[in-house]
Amino acid sequence: MTRLIAAEFRKLLTTRLWLWLLLTSLAWTAGYCALAIAVDNRPGGPGPALSGAAGQHALFAIGAGGAGPLAAILAAAGTAGEFRHRTAAATFLAEPRRARVITAKLIVYLLAGAGYALACVAVSLAVALPWLAARGTPVSLAAHGNLAVLGAVILSVALFGMTGAGLGALLGSEVITIAGLLLYLYVAEPLLSRISALGSWTAYLPGTAADGLTRASQAGVRLLPPWQGGLVFAAWAAVIACAGAAVTARRDIT
Amino acid sequence: MGDDAGQIVISGLTKRFGGVTAVDGLSFSAAPGSVTGFLGPNGAGKTTTLRMLAGLVAPDAGTATISGRTYAALESPGRKAGVVLEAAGFHPARTGRNHLRVYCTACGYPLRRADEVLETCGLAAAGRQKVRGYSLGMRQRLALATALLGDPAALILDEPANGLDPEGIAWLRGLLRDYARAGRTVLYSSHVLPEVEQLADQVVIMHRGRLVRRGTLAELTGGRGGLEQVFLSLTAGSGRPGGGPS
Repeated sequence: MTRLIAAEFRKLLTTRLWLWLLLTSLAWTAGYCALAIAVDNRPGGPGPALSGAAGQHALFAIGAGGAGPLAAILAAAGTAGEFRHRTAAATFLAEPRRARVITAKLIVYLLAGAGYALACVAVSLAVALPWLAARGTPVSLAAHGNLAVLGAVILSVALFGMTGAGLGALLGSEVITIAGLLLYLYVAEPLLSRISALGSWTAYLPGTAADGLTRASQAGVRLLPPWQGGLVFAAWAAVIACAGAAVTARRDIT
Repeated sequence: MGDDAGQIVISGLTKRFGGVTAVDGLSFSAAPGSVTGFLGPNGAGKTTTLRMLAGLVAPDAGTATISGRTYAALESPGRKAGVVLEAAGFHPARTGRNHLRVYCTACGYPLRRADEVLETCGLAAAGRQKVRGYSLGMRQRLALATALLGDPAALILDEPANGLDPEGIAWLRGLLRDYARAGRTVLYSSHVLPEVEQLADQVVIMHRGRLVRRGTLAELTGGRGGLEQVFLSLTAGSGRPGGGPS
């Protein structure tokens, strides 16, 4: 198993996609934090004030947590990309026990997601702490449960990575996986979560559960408490991963 | 390794894709120390057969074994069989050398094996280039290099000469001949009949998913004409022009 994990890391690091998506994640984090701080306390501002707990949670959850979908894209390219580039044959010749290959990928992209999140958390702190202190709104990591939010962001982005890997294995097409992921997260789920007839059930949808985990609260969206959101999102990731492994074991590599 | 190390046995192998029977009750074997040429028109079922042998496609019936086991049941499969299925299967943005090092790591071989097989396959100079810049012949050599990483007891190759230049074809012929002389098994499909005549100890001809003839070259031709005449007469009324899974 160790050699399969090492091989997947070698695959990941011998092309540049990880770097471009990491830079995109960092740019998003820096941009979002800068914008949120710049418009803080303006009349008609977008969110809760950054002097309070809700504002600080949202700053880190949306700023650093924005790496989640990018980690999922990286992971989807790492699994479904094996079919697109027809490397799946060599991969399954090297290790015919396909479930082990998929398990190695899930672990690698879970860790890659955690790595993205750590880098984004560092950038969000580097932007927010000095800037807010200079504006007279000092932020303490120890206060308001901020440290818990940062931990939740790392877990959330890691689970996004694992989910992307599982979904790529399940669908077997890089384009469909990435397009489907983005359409679901940014179109389908926001629409679903505004259907009032669904009531509090929408909090159990994967993206909304992840928002519950990181406390990325938005107006009018019902969220689960962090520990419940984390469990529900992890359950989604596990179910998708198992489905991806099961489908991959049966797929003919033609 | 036992006495059947490298022995390839195909027995009653059958595969259907939808309503099409791509491989239909195929049986033959390939022995260590010999080269088996695997022939058939496009769509005859050669590639599907080789993919089933490599454990990439699940048969509907029958078995395909290497050294007495299915590929998936082999211990250290990369040391038992080296497989080339097409001159594709590389990430365009990865260098040839890194491609090989990935599979060294996955199989637990030392990384220097990557440089050794690059040398063997005449890619030492191109190893640090990205695969997107490779010609078809270079991709074919890289696919073969990947198969050679584990120094396997059997080589299973699908049209390995495709895209090679005359020098490359001569090089491949020497490599396969040496491989068989070292007591290992070579099974390869080809459309280049004069090439097969020069190299193969045994010829297996498939048509429309079935075995139509197998034997040594002398047995097949019986002294009457060449392999091409025999092949064309056996496979007249060609199978599935334009493809389908082959």
